[in-house]
Order: sequence, then structure tokens, then C-alpha cells
Amino acid sequence: MSLIERLDSLANAGTTPWHRASAIAKLGLATGLVLCVVLSRSLPLVVALHVLAWALVLSCRMPWRIVLAAATYPLFVSGLFVVATWGGPARAQLLLVLRPVTASLTVLWLIGTTPYPDLFAPVSRVLPRYLADGLFLTYRALFELLGRAERLWRALRMRGGSTGPPAQRLAVAGEGLATLVLFGFERSQRVYAAMLLRGHSGRVCGCRHWAEVGREDLWVLAAAILAGAAVARWGGRA
Amino acid sequence: MAHLHIPDGVLPLWLWGPAWAVAVLALVAVWRVQRDRPPRRVAYDGALGAVMLAAMAMEVPLGPVEYHLTLAGPIGVLLGPAGAFQAAFIASAVLALIGHGGLTLIGMNALLLGTAAALASPVYRVLARRRTAPVALAGATAAGHTASGLLWLLLVLAGARLRAADVGLDATAARLAVMASVAVPLVVLGVAAEATVALGMGHFIARVRPDLMPGAAPARRT
Repeated sequence: MSLIERLDSLANAGTTPWHRASAIAKLGLATGLVLCVVLSRSLPLVVALHVLAWALVLSCRMPWRIVLAAATYPLFVSGLFVVATWGGPARAQLLLVLRPVTASLTVLWLIGTTPYPDLFAPVSRVLPRYLADGLFLTYRALFELLGRAERLWRALRMRGGSTGPPAQRLAVAGEGLATLVLFGFERSQRVYAAMLLRGHSGRVCGCRHWAEVGREDLWVLAAAILAGAAVARWGGRA
Repeated sequence: MAHLHIPDGVLPLWLWGPAWAVAVLALVAVWRVQRDRPPRRVAYDGALGAVMLAAMAMEVPLGPVEYHLTLAGPIGVLLGPAGAFQAAFIASAVLALIGHGGLTLIGMNALLLGTAAALASPVYRVLARRRTAPVALAGATAAGHTASGLLWLLLVLAGARLRAADVGLDATAARLAVMASVAVPLVVLGVAAEATVALGMGHFIARVRPDLMPGAAPARRT
């Protein structure tokens, strides 16, 4: 199962209060946290928000492998920037490491606790129609194509597609991926036919309960208050 | 290389802010171009955007590194510049949600991926006049990814230089040379891998569904 399938499954099957909180509240908190972290020059503030991001991710019962992946992946590019500032103040390098990891963990918490229709519905309100429809249709097609791609890859490896010179391997992989393109094309024809049958009015609609605020949103509010307190305490300090 | 997404917090606001603005302007331009497209195209664009994401999830072993493909070139050729930029934006947004790239960097990552995809389409049309469809597809992919890779390199080096200047470091040229020595081989590897995969894709599509390639006659319905 790929990372995106795993996250989608976790978002739908999770039972923590974060999973039951409204999408709009979580989206607001995650956006606020990411913007604060990215724009802040204060190390104490970034450290405080980093701790908060870890608390969010660890409290939503995310598998540790996924958490580890989210915490280490951004380091590849930020590592290049650490090299560029090597020998400078440790504060600058710490910021370069903490900022991307904090943002990545925050986004992981958001996507791991919010099913995609709930997440995309408020976003699609502010996007142009063609883009919002594209977002929904891409995401819907993705899971079917991921399964197919996985089977294709396995078949290629079993039939020797992963041996031989790299150029040959890549060309064979290209031929395999072309079958995905053809499948995608045929699938789009079927999806369009289904959309017409269901009375497609020119817009794909998301679900409507993304803004249903409940008791669980108090947890989100508490996290937002903690983040706000950190900003008030350390926001002005460089 | 367009797939090596930049995470949040490493580039300054004045780099990613305008990139968001340019990406939004490009989306408005895309909307104007595609205003009258048939609804059937929405499903097709969505499906090929998903193919792009599915390809990115696969790891191709290339010696010591595992390379993640983007298919930005072939998707750009199949969808055209406008559809391809939209697919690139959506792919960047979805990737940002799973931690590959940043939310604040969606604009910049979409521009990088979109450059490879949008540039491949006109280059393909030029090359297809003289070469076979698979070779034209590979050439267009190489051109798109080279441009995108150079843009990526420029942005990363500019961002790193600014970060080093921010903290008052000297000898930035030597530092940037170290960075470039890591990044340039990755860009070259990426261009070669994407072009070779595009060649294979081109061979298959030209054999099985040549009507999907731009400029080809539509398939006769039976």
C-alpha cells in the first residue's frame, strides 16, 4: 500500500478526537501553524511550534514509520541549505532544519486525520471550478491507478524488467507506464459517462459536513490557543 | 528533478510569495484558454494528473539511487500546455499534502513541474515534423526537464546564497559549488531517465493508440 493510500485509510478509519473534529478548524490550524513557522525568525517560537506539531502527530495514533518518513523527507533539500550556511550561526541551521520538519508534521496531522472529500470541499469553494473539479477527479482516479501501477511494477520485476542496463530498464518501464496512460484514458471515458448518468451539472460537488463544528473542535481550539500563546511570548524575538 | 520538491521554510518569502502569484496568474490564463473545453476533458485531465502522481509513487532503481519519475513531459504532450499546467498544479498540491514539498511552495513546485510539462508540448510539435513520434516525445521531455531542472537549480542556489548572506557568511561561491556538485548530477540523471521512459511510452502509444498523440488523426470508430 502506498503512502497516500495508507494516509487516506488512516484518515477514514481513525477514531481519535482529531479525526472527529471539523475539517475547516483543522485546515485553519494547520495553515496558521505552517505560516507562523515559515515566516518566523524566532528560534524559541519555531521550537515551541515544533513541539506542538510532534504532539499533534503523536496524539493522532499515526504509525511511526509514516511519522519518521514525514520528519526526514524534507531534510534532503533543507540539507543542501544547511551545507550552504555551514560555519554560520547554529541558530540559522537549526531554523533550516526545524521549519520544514515542523511544517511537514503539521500537514501529516491534517491529512492523516481528515478524509479527502472533507479537506477538498472547503478548498474547492475558493478555487476556480475547473481546478476544483480537477482536484476531486484526480484524487478519485489516483487510488485505482496506484493499485494498477503497483501490480504493473510487480509484474515487470517478476518478468525481469528490473534487470539489464538502465536504459533498457527505463524504456521497458516507459512501455509499462504507457498502459497506465491508456487505462487512464479509458477510465476517463467511463467516469464521464457515469457523471452524465448522475446528472452532472458542470460541477463536481464535495461533501457538506466539512464545516460541522462539534465538541472535538475544542481540542483544535486548545492547540490554536497554545500556538497563539507561543507567538505572543516569543513572536517578536529573533 | 522537477519532482524533488522544495519543502516549507527553506526559501524566503520574497521567492515563494511571487511564485504563488505567478502560478495563480498562470492558472487564470489556463482558465481563459480552457473555458470552452468539453466537460469530457475534465475527466481526462484528472485521469492523466493521477497517472502523473501514480508514476511518482513508483521507484526506479538506478544504480545507488531510487529515482521517482514525474512523466511531466509525456503528460504535457498529451494534455497540451494548459491542461498540463493544471495537472502539475494539482499534482503539486496533492504531493504537498503528503509531505513531498510544502504548502507555501505549491506555487513554486507547480511552476517547476509545469515548466517541464508545458514546454514539452510545443517542442514535441516542432520535433514531430522531422522525427518519429517516440523520438519527438523523448526529445520534448528532455527539453522540458532540462529547463525545469535548470530553473530548480537556479532557485535552490539563489535561495542558498541568500540564506548564507543572511547570516553574514563569506566564501559563498565555494559553498554553492559544493551544492552544485551534488545537485547537477541529479538534474542530469533526471533528464536522462525521464527522456528514456518517454521514449518507451512513445513507442507503446504510437503502436497501440496513435490517435492519442497530438497532431494524429482521430481513431476511426468501429
